[in-house]
Amino acid sequence: MTRLPAQPGERLDRSTSVGFTFDGKPVEALAGDTIASALYAAGQRTFSRSFKYHRRRGLLCCAGQCPNCLVAVDGAPGVRACTEPVREGMKVEHLNATPSLERDVMAVTDAVGGPFTPPGFYYKTFIRPRRLWPLYEKLLRNVAGLGRLRAAQDEREWRTEYRRRHADVLVVGGGLAGLVAAIAAARAGADVVLADEGPEPGGRALAGGGHERARDLAEQARAAGVEVLTSASALGSFDGLVPVWQASTLHQVRARRLVFATGDVEQPLVFAGNDLPGVMLSGGVRRLIALYGIAPGTRAVVATTSDRGLEAADALRAAGVEVVAVADLREGRTVLEAEGRKHVSAAVLGGLDGADERRVECDLIVMSGGAAPATSLVAQAGGRTAYDEGRGHFAIAELPDDVLAAGAVAGHGDDPERSGERAGALAAHALGLGEAPPPPDGPADRRAPEAVPPAVAGAGRGKCFACLCEDVTAKDIHLSVDEGYDSIELSKRYTTATMGPCQGRMCQLPAIRLMAQETGQDLASIGTTTARPPWSAVPLGALAGRPLDPAKRSSIHPRHRELGARVMWAGDWRRAYDYGDPQAEALAVHESAGLIDVSTLGKLIVRGPQAGEFLDRLYPNRFANLKPGRIRYGVLTSDAGRIMDDGTICRLDDETFYVTTTSSGAGAVEQWFSWWLADWRMEVALTDVTQGLAAVNLAGPRAREIMGRLTDLDCSNETFAYLDGKRAQVAGVPALVLRIGFVGEVGYEIHFPAAYGQDVWDAILETGADHAIRPFGLEPQRILRLQKMHILVGQDTDSESTPFGAAMPWIVKLDKDEDFIGKWALEHAAERVGGHGSLALVGFTLPDGDVPTEGAAVLAGRGEPIGQVTSARHSRQLGQVIGMAWVPAEMANDGTAITISDESRRLRAEVLTRPFYDPDGEVLRS
Amino acid sequence: VNALDFLEPSGAAVARSPMEGQAIAAGARMELRDGWNVAVAYDDAEGERLRTSVGWADVSHLAKLEIQRPGDLEPGLATRAHGAWWCRVTRDRALVIGDPAVREQVEDAVDVTTALAALTIAGPLAREVFARFCALDLRPQSTPVRGFRPGSVARTPGYVLREDADRFLMLFGSALGEYLWTVVADAAGSLGGGPVGVDALEREAARA
Repeated sequence: MTRLPAQPGERLDRSTSVGFTFDGKPVEALAGDTIASALYAAGQRTFSRSFKYHRRRGLLCCAGQCPNCLVAVDGAPGVRACTEPVREGMKVEHLNATPSLERDVMAVTDAVGGPFTPPGFYYKTFIRPRRLWPLYEKLLRNVAGLGRLRAAQDEREWRTEYRRRHADVLVVGGGLAGLVAAIAAARAGADVVLADEGPEPGGRALAGGGHERARDLAEQARAAGVEVLTSASALGSFDGLVPVWQASTLHQVRARRLVFATGDVEQPLVFAGNDLPGVMLSGGVRRLIALYGIAPGTRAVVATTSDRGLEAADALRAAGVEVVAVADLREGRTVLEAEGRKHVSAAVLGGLDGADERRVECDLIVMSGGAAPATSLVAQAGGRTAYDEGRGHFAIAELPDDVLAAGAVAGHGDDPERSGERAGALAAHALGLGEAPPPPDGPADRRAPEAVPPAVAGAGRGKCFACLCEDVTAKDIHLSVDEGYDSIELSKRYTTATMGPCQGRMCQLPAIRLMAQETGQDLASIGTTTARPPWSAVPLGALAGRPLDPAKRSSIHPRHRELGARVMWAGDWRRAYDYGDPQAEALAVHESAGLIDVSTLGKLIVRGPQAGEFLDRLYPNRFANLKPGRIRYGVLTSDAGRIMDDGTICRLDDETFYVTTTSSGAGAVEQWFSWWLADWRMEVALTDVTQGLAAVNLAGPRAREIMGRLTDLDCSNETFAYLDGKRAQVAGVPALVLRIGFVGEVGYEIHFPAAYGQDVWDAILETGADHAIRPFGLEPQRILRLQKMHILVGQDTDSESTPFGAAMPWIVKLDKDEDFIGKWALEHAAERVGGHGSLALVGFTLPDGDVPTEGAAVLAGRGEPIGQVTSARHSRQLGQVIGMAWVPAEMANDGTAITISDESRRLRAEVLTRPFYDPDGEVLRS
Repeated sequence: VNALDFLEPSGAAVARSPMEGQAIAAGARMELRDGWNVAVAYDDAEGERLRTSVGWADVSHLAKLEIQRPGDLEPGLATRAHGAWWCRVTRDRALVIGDPAVREQVEDAVDVTTALAALTIAGPLAREVFARFCALDLRPQSTPVRGFRPGSVARTPGYVLREDADRFLMLFGSALGEYLWTVVADAAGSLGGGPVGVDALEREAARA
């Protein structure tokens, strides 16, 4: 097809050609073309196959509103050909047709599938015989959908990102109203963002003779400092946050005022064969002519309810298209049927009552069923719509204070610039910028009269589509009402009308009209479906943005990598799980020395005159009487007396305590402390130094010797005893050294500025090399602590565990003078200790060497579950399998036999209530 | 004797930023300054980067002190004194960030130098870089020069201080250093930016 002579305002650069392929065939386009305009100019009329019936679909709106031209570009499905600019070398392919767009085997569903494919057919037709459902499901899943993702994961990935944008005013919609609103607000001093779906702002004016004005306003907007986002779809409104999708970027725009200038959406007419290629909206026809220099047909019939159709007829004539008939509903005539096999070949026109029927041969039917204000985003932002009887559509009735509307969406399509000017000025003035605009003058509504289209015309002549995306016909709506789905929300879910890629743009109003016709209700009573995001179809990848996975790493982490550690997640930290042989690493701690990175421990500085009292209120044991330089273990309980966390507390001086927490509990404990501190208003300051200090635990029979070589401290047991804490230089850096042990051997926990992590780690390993020191990871640490029956909060305890049940009654000081968090609950728990139904945490051994799964059930004699295994490991040091489990309190006695059910296995175990290794702590204290 | 002296990075060993490895991998020339191994320079394009696009520099070596009595420090606006920024965080808490010598000016502070890592992001596209991972409103009308904003950076707690029109100091947990470097490098790299050394930062500040 040859192009029309250059059109004023066209987007084409006729001197530059662009080559691409469509289904493997080369296509020559002009720079500025969209895929659709280039294909149409090349003679293509079928652009896709429909969702259910696989009917041919051609260009309809040419504005990215409808589903008819969805294609795959370079393997990515769901691209609208009518808005996607051509690029040299791009590979465009059709969707939803096998083996080809021209010969689609699934088109058989259109010819014979009607009775088998009513609304909800997959739950009706394909349920018997039941045993075939897996086959049906596979078949249905195979034929459903619009296109396929590329098979290889790396081919499906593309760079996406979020961009947060704060603004004073966001204008959605870049037609004349939106542009003028943006300019007015920006000139008043506001920071303005304008988002428009089109490749250039201007909206309907670009193809309606207003291109010069539109482009001039776009320039003015940019000059006024407006950030203009093109090909940018606003997806929704979430309490003031409007996500705007633009290519690979999702702009998260948070504006103090929103101006919606989203225009209106031209509505199709519902008649027999209204989906046939060659049936186009008047706006689509005008865009093809004005922007791309293409005559959409040779003989055209125009069917309209307003002046839009008449204006399109004028544009067609100017483009040399013969307009053979005009059916204006205002004069009582409309289109009843489109005839043709692959493409429109004739139109049947007539009155709504069927009178004066006339068949007209043509290759183009231009329809215009009026326009519906695009209110979805307004509604999502809190606006309310109401039915406008005169116009036959739903219009804005109420807006929230921070939302404004301008142009056609506000009912001001007759004077969009004045409407925009006022909205922009109001938005700015509400922010204290510029002057308040004068009240509006002139007649409220100067729009030309329109006719309200019928719900359907030509029923009985063929399929009349209400929803093109989902292939929902007028008959389907009728059936759904017959079956009891008589509200618009139910009908939507049952028929899926409005749930396709157009998001109700083209089908919401027709569906409501059909519902009204079927139920006898008026449209106002039926109302609209709830407006939901996304307003435009958007790839999930764009919503996901960049994958941000905040991982904490200790300052020693590079060394763990170098040592070949298996690194795993532990809470929000990346930790060395082991260095290849966890059992050997654990054994090294018993035989010589081991070094583990425990930088992940939570670390809090609590200081102030009331610091001791503060801790006494938080913990069930005492800290105010702790001597400076000494350490005490603490279990933090909730107000329900349940174990929240545990750790050690070292008193540094009269007013300063150093509190450690579990690695995963650090954040929660810090919040817990802060929360109570704010409530109690004590003279206490809290500082979280978790990430500021590295910490390592040097443990084993040779630890003291190694420690002695790293510091000037006298490390003898007499001077530096178990549970002492001392400040010292270790390997040349300032440190706090805690003589504590979690792994059962003499140990030193060394806390020092994180910036020295690698150097101190290196120094300790180097110093300990003569003593066969070995780094050990999290897994060997778990073996070692289990030997000592030290609990892991969250592993061995749950939200019901109290210190009494967890074999730590000694830590609860109910005789403390001060009240403390959880005291009341713990007093009650103390009364129930050992009582019927109470559980106790015990150790167990398994003589036969099987390691039960953590979480395995402990069974009663008759086989019912009465408890649970929380931890279990094989200990090479002890030569047996050991574990911990919750059992009924009456079974918490040394030597009691228990049965563990682990999937199909039954394991016999024996209860032990004291640590497996060094039960009296003699090694630890030596 | 200060019971918390073990918090201060005043040892004989070399203090290292959590982003040291990434800086070196990106081609940094390192120099020992005030006990820290500091990325002082990368390449010849640093100045151009800072003037025309964006650069980021690891400034984790800056001293950071937490004080409990902020006095009359203004919320949301940092004060420059004694070679440091004085930033009020809450009613009862403030951060002092800057020259190590500022320790002499502060009594009763907790040294959080190694608890917080720091990046300076500078250049005309600095705000665009932040927009890729941070929802704070860093426009001049909301965050003017000296503006100090506690908030979320790349889904972690942090602080942003606008040191100059196109220069921001970002503080975050030091254990997240490697992660934040990756995030900033990804965001800034996509905008044509790159790492810069602290010397280039100083030169550009002097030029301005």
